[in-house]
Amino acid sequence: MPRAAWLLRPPGPVPYDAANAAMHRLAERRLAGEIPDTLILLEHPPVFTAGRRAKDDELLWDPASVQARGGIVRKIDRGGSFTFHGPGQLVGYPIIDLGTTPDAGGYLRRLEDVVIGACAELGVSVDRRAEVQTGVWHGDDKVCAIGVRLLRARVTLHGFALNCDTDLSWFAGIVACGLPDRGVTSLSELTGRAIRVEAVRPSVERAFASRFDVAFEDAPDEIVEAFTVAADVA
Amino acid sequence: MTSIQMPQLGETIVEGTILKWLKHEGDAVVRDEALFEISTDKVDTEVPSPVAGTVTKILVDEGATVPVGTIVMEVAEEGAPAVAAAPVAPAPAGAAAADAPPAPAAEPVGVVVASSIPAPAAPVSQPAHVAASVPDRGPRSQILSPLVRRLAREHSLDLGQIAGTGTGGRITKNDVLAVIASGGTTAAPAVVTATAPDLGTAEPAAPPAAAAQPIQLGVGDEAVPMTHIRRAIAEHMLASTQATARAWTLVEVNVDHLVRLRERVKDDFERKHGVKLTYLPMVVRATVDALQAFPDVNARLDGENIVRHRLVNMGIAVSYDAGLIVPVIKGADGMNTVGVARAIADLAARARAHQLTPDEVQGATFTITNPGPYGSVASVPIINQPNVGILSFDAIVKRAVVVDDAIAIRSMVNISMSWDHRVIDGELATRFLARVRQNLETWDFAEDLGL
Amino acid sequence: MSTQTVESGAAGHGAEPRGKRDDDGQATYLIAIAEALWEEMERDERVYMLGEDIGVYGGAFKVTEGFIDRFGPDRVMDTPIAEETIVGMAVGSAMEGLRPVAEFQYADFMSSGFDEITTVLSRYHYRAGVPLPVVLRAPSGGGVRASSFHSINPEPWYAYAGGIKIMCPAFPSDAKGLLKSAVRDDNPSMFLEHKWIYRRIKEQVPTEPDFLVPISSAAVKREGTDVSVITYGAMVHKALEAAESLAQRGVSAEVVDLRTVYPYDEETVLRSIEKTAHALVLYESYRFLGIGSEVAAMIAEKAFEHLDAPVVRLAPPNVPVPFSPPLEDAFLPQVADIEAAVDRLAAW
Repeated sequence: MPRAAWLLRPPGPVPYDAANAAMHRLAERRLAGEIPDTLILLEHPPVFTAGRRAKDDELLWDPASVQARGGIVRKIDRGGSFTFHGPGQLVGYPIIDLGTTPDAGGYLRRLEDVVIGACAELGVSVDRRAEVQTGVWHGDDKVCAIGVRLLRARVTLHGFALNCDTDLSWFAGIVACGLPDRGVTSLSELTGRAIRVEAVRPSVERAFASRFDVAFEDAPDEIVEAFTVAADVA
Repeated sequence: MTSIQMPQLGETIVEGTILKWLKHEGDAVVRDEALFEISTDKVDTEVPSPVAGTVTKILVDEGATVPVGTIVMEVAEEGAPAVAAAPVAPAPAGAAAADAPPAPAAEPVGVVVASSIPAPAAPVSQPAHVAASVPDRGPRSQILSPLVRRLAREHSLDLGQIAGTGTGGRITKNDVLAVIASGGTTAAPAVVTATAPDLGTAEPAAPPAAAAQPIQLGVGDEAVPMTHIRRAIAEHMLASTQATARAWTLVEVNVDHLVRLRERVKDDFERKHGVKLTYLPMVVRATVDALQAFPDVNARLDGENIVRHRLVNMGIAVSYDAGLIVPVIKGADGMNTVGVARAIADLAARARAHQLTPDEVQGATFTITNPGPYGSVASVPIINQPNVGILSFDAIVKRAVVVDDAIAIRSMVNISMSWDHRVIDGELATRFLARVRQNLETWDFAEDLGL
Repeated sequence: MSTQTVESGAAGHGAEPRGKRDDDGQATYLIAIAEALWEEMERDERVYMLGEDIGVYGGAFKVTEGFIDRFGPDRVMDTPIAEETIVGMAVGSAMEGLRPVAEFQYADFMSSGFDEITTVLSRYHYRAGVPLPVVLRAPSGGGVRASSFHSINPEPWYAYAGGIKIMCPAFPSDAKGLLKSAVRDDNPSMFLEHKWIYRRIKEQVPTEPDFLVPISSAAVKREGTDVSVITYGAMVHKALEAAESLAQRGVSAEVVDLRTVYPYDEETVLRSIEKTAHALVLYESYRFLGIGSEVAAMIAEKAFEHLDAPVVRLAPPNVPVPFSPPLEDAFLPQVADIEAAVDRLAAW
């Protein structure tokens, strides 16, 4: 019997700071037991985020160049190094309570399974490269970055970023995921046809529901509005 | 005191880095408040406090990478004194109490009360304590069966150190038994210090009561748990050998005339007094006289003082189904041989029927053991503390002996004494035994038998 | 067809003869029971039998075939079809010093004498201080395509009454030894003979006139180390078959045969649990409030800290015994069910 879970699909590109703040608030509420497990699926405007392991020299562009291109840089509280989010990339933030004895490794494998399953539905064969790094890969190229933090060692924060028809030139600005000798790709590049976020999202939702054994219901409007309102403020 | 460990965030994560201490020594924390931030190769997180209290100790530097399970911080729980302790969770209080031998009563070492004292109840299992220490190695790894909990408790095992091979990572009986069989203990056994009373000496090292070592059984071997009585005997005997400076002296005694006397009067004796006539009452009488002549042998050591007993309470070692017991002939110095014979018969019978009262096995000032009926010709007994001597009366055998430069056949017996050199010296021991021998060889017991 | 007729009994017409020991001395359960009765009738003239069709016809299953010729109609007494009267006669004659052995054609019909059994037989010693050395014999159990009126396992009903010793042996030797003990016992007892076993199981059965099996003693019929299967009656044979198959796969099941179900031998059960730490309680009486419910509860109470897994019961549902062979097979625990249950326990 699947557990009920909320699905949030805030419309439009959601500014990073707003989404980040709303995500943290939801995680606190999840930890308090006020809300069920939740999956947030959205897109961001261009942003480079630096995890705790990111080194300054892994941002190859100076801040002014980033800004000139319409992007921003944010240091955030997840692990890992630099990554990029932007239009054409499906970002998923699962807010899941892993319980008092969390299995973070297992959780990351499940996220990979979700992305692998969704891509398979779209006819794209991708795989994990556990020996290299968490994420989903096609050969030596990463199609989906995964970076996670736990709130108080039990509720998940951050998540995955699946390149659908992302403008991959942005990745030239960073040593993506701290791996200089690895490339980045997208589903569109892999298939040679435009695969938009809207086309991928239903597959990701299905794969996630199946892998995490949840039945999605739409989150209450005020929860979704939190993202929009926050976006306005930002 | 609660020890905070580098948490296990999944089986593939073996170490973590302390990114930042969010609480410092002396800081108050509430339950679930973040204590510090860690980073692993998979995820970062803050570690919440499992208790409310005060941070007493930080054991790892910021930036240090330590294996999962390493104790990195200590928090004194609210209401508990904030005393820094060794970074090891204290053994559950119940374990020591339950495994401790029954408190030695104020009775001489080597003496066991025959009344059946029920074994102390097993400690209540402590599921919370055990469960808290078991890392998540699978969806069913937190399920600890009653048997697994009991085995872990009995063998002082830390279940957190045992990887479960059962479905979903559950620790099974066989997993625990494998650890036990491999000689592995995952935690130090609880050592129980038993203090023997009234020894007046340095405390003997008590044997560890909880046998954490696995029992190695060969083909055909059988492990039988010690009974309550057996364990008490073991402890008392060991305590005595560790507390006394034991020496031993033996004399040969010609009891030819006692044998002839007994053969002549035993039927009359039994008819008249209702008990069989044995040699033991005669030995008791001869010994009582010697004890009165050498009061340092009828004594005990109390601190810096030697306490001499004017009265003689004679302990008689009696074997019975449960082991060994030493009933006491109170006021043996006031009895003739008939009285001693009756007292011995009464005490021995009631000892074997488990009917002695605690009072009847306490207060011996000297002890006699009598292994002779089973054919032993010389024994080295262990002193029945706090006595300073124990006399062994072995089997009477016919031997060729030299009498007046001629070889003669005589009924001979070896009488020996283990004595405590802290109180008695060799000369005294030998003179004491010579007195016993002289009494047995020269007294005419006939007039003492009430016939 | 003929096999089914034989197994389900044939009151009044056409039952097969009881048969004799093999040339090598092996006896069926049926023969072993007849031997026990014969020997006790010879030994003690206070022992007599009563029941429907037990004399001239020799009993629905031919257990008492030939007895009337040897012992006469006064000691092998045919009665009307009136179970309450049979019990009442047995009780009355026991009060007067006789040692009656009453046969019921099927254990199902004992309930027609329910009141006499549960309010008189079980309590009279308590009420009047007069022992009642009565044995009630009846064929019980299913698996022989005999439908809901000829297949039940009524032992829980009568165990619940208290005061009646109830035996459900699985092997010919145990049946003989227990029945002789029951006849010699001064307490009322119920001896339930499993008709699936009657002609199916044979073995060497002792012939000594004083061969007895103590009442309330269980027996380990197969030693094992992983899981204890505690059972009785026909299920013992299913359990043994399952244990054999499990052994091929490296799972070691111990089979404990209770033999007497009330009062039963707790010690033997507990010793087995201490060894294996896993308990499967297998029984043919209904699952709800069956004999095994009590055994399972006792294990949970007294061996809690020896258990490495929950105590599991395997027993039929509380529904009428089906007549349809596929349904009856689904109703009764089968060897495959036992194997699956043991596998689950071993892997718990």
